[in-house]
Amino acid sequence: MLTESAASGAHAALHGLLTLKRDRAEAEMRLYDLTSPEQRLIATKRFDLPAADGRRLAHKIADEVVYQFTGEPGIADTKIAYVSGNPQAKELFAMDYDGAGRARLTGNDSINLSPVWSPDARSLAFTSYMRGYPYLYRLFAFERRPIQLLAGFLGINIAPAWSPDGRQVALTLSKDGNPEIYLLDVATGAVRRLTRHPAIDTEPTWSPTGREIAFISDRTGTAQIFVMDAEGANVRQLTTSGFNTQPRWSPKGDAIAYTSRQGGHDIWAINPDGSNPRRLTAGPGSNESASWAPNGRHLAFQSNRLGSWQLFSMLADGSEQQPLTRGGGEFTSPAWSPRLP
Amino acid sequence: MLHRRWQLLPILPVLVLALFLVGCPKRPATTSAAAPAPGAPAPGTPGAGPSVAGPGAPGAPGAPGAPGAATTPGTPGAAPSPREFTAIAALTDIHFDFDKYDIRPGDAKVLDENAKWMKSNPTYLILIEGHCDERGTNEYNLALGERRAKSTMNYLVSQGVRANRITLISYGEERPQCTEKTEACWDKNRRAHFLVKAG
Repeated sequence: MLTESAASGAHAALHGLLTLKRDRAEAEMRLYDLTSPEQRLIATKRFDLPAADGRRLAHKIADEVVYQFTGEPGIADTKIAYVSGNPQAKELFAMDYDGAGRARLTGNDSINLSPVWSPDARSLAFTSYMRGYPYLYRLFAFERRPIQLLAGFLGINIAPAWSPDGRQVALTLSKDGNPEIYLLDVATGAVRRLTRHPAIDTEPTWSPTGREIAFISDRTGTAQIFVMDAEGANVRQLTTSGFNTQPRWSPKGDAIAYTSRQGGHDIWAINPDGSNPRRLTAGPGSNESASWAPNGRHLAFQSNRLGSWQLFSMLADGSEQQPLTRGGGEFTSPAWSPRLP
Repeated sequence: MLHRRWQLLPILPVLVLALFLVGCPKRPATTSAAAPAPGAPAPGTPGAGPSVAGPGAPGAPGAPGAPGAATTPGTPGAAPSPREFTAIAALTDIHFDFDKYDIRPGDAKVLDENAKWMKSNPTYLILIEGHCDERGTNEYNLALGERRAKSTMNYLVSQGVRANRITLISYGEERPQCTEKTEACWDKNRRAHFLVKAG
């Protein structure tokens, strides 16, 4: 059969054995290189998951195949969290990376915003009005654990961004009178202030090295993207014109995606040294709130190009834009998870 | 025990791998096992640890944590819940220019009247809501709404209203008064709104 496949032009063949044992599903996959004369076995790998997780099993196998051919695992075994609802109640949800399997994460009938996955992909930080004021919380997406209050200071507690080591969350607080960026130690709850400027400073995003933080400030008149080191020093300005928000540093480190308003909003990317600003979307409608896949090659974003807010994905150069949700409500603020544990 | 032999799956050009990367493998190519129902409650299985309940079914987290249970870094001051405040006809909203948080000259007069009421009703606590139109992005607008509420408070304090009676809340663009996509509607939404609570 391998030979037949090779003759038909296939470059590789995936062969598998699925064993169902009570509530477990065990899969053994074998990947063959059909371009080699001896049809070399490239890889053998076993996966063992609850039988109900068949879709996830397939995703893990897909990621392994991608890994064997590219040296980096695929992104099929990831989730995308998002916000859905109406002005009275916006709740958090999560779905598979391809839009399947939507499931609700919050149910507090208030406004829940800005989900971001922790680097271990087990929890999300988010802003919620569940207690009346906009506080920052953490929910454990796959565990029966209570939602944890991360920051409940007077004023806003918003725009969370996990440090790459998961120990700190950069966020915006106004407890000292003005929206400024702080670092929150997740274990102790201690906060340290990073910015000191009478303008708005908000929306921190970490470089994957953890050494720098990009953020938004209107200190030059309109919202622009700045970068500082993680101690708050050496502030430099990346964008100078228009109105630019929602910076998201690529997990590869080589680009910062952001939302630029020129009439409607579109997603752009810029190099961290300020060079090569480039437009990734060009309408129709508004395109906002980009979130990088863990491979740095894909982005999820929200667009109202079809009339209501829906989620889309695209490649990092803006090509191959395709819907992840198709009606049935409004969907915003996608947060692409790291590879699942 | 059931063994199921998969069909041998030729992967045609390696480009097909892109499917695994970007596409929606509706039929994930390798198994016929049924996908779990969305949000199917996986837990409850004996010995189902976190990693098991895991990524298959994020519907499981159950009830949001009991509000009182979590520890509170930065314990909110004594600010009463916003739900305890009610709007009052004597206090008039003010509005803001696009992407601005300074008080317009015309609105200063409105605030002067509001300040008079506040000073003659000194037992009332005051909640100032800061709001934005939908044209910014959500997170930026939360900060902008905060600045609008703060500018408003600063003005009232300059007119003699005690700061410790005032609490601020930003709703960003999340609580629009008007949902049409017109300048007039956006102008209505860029506002500071006042509520009071008998002290």
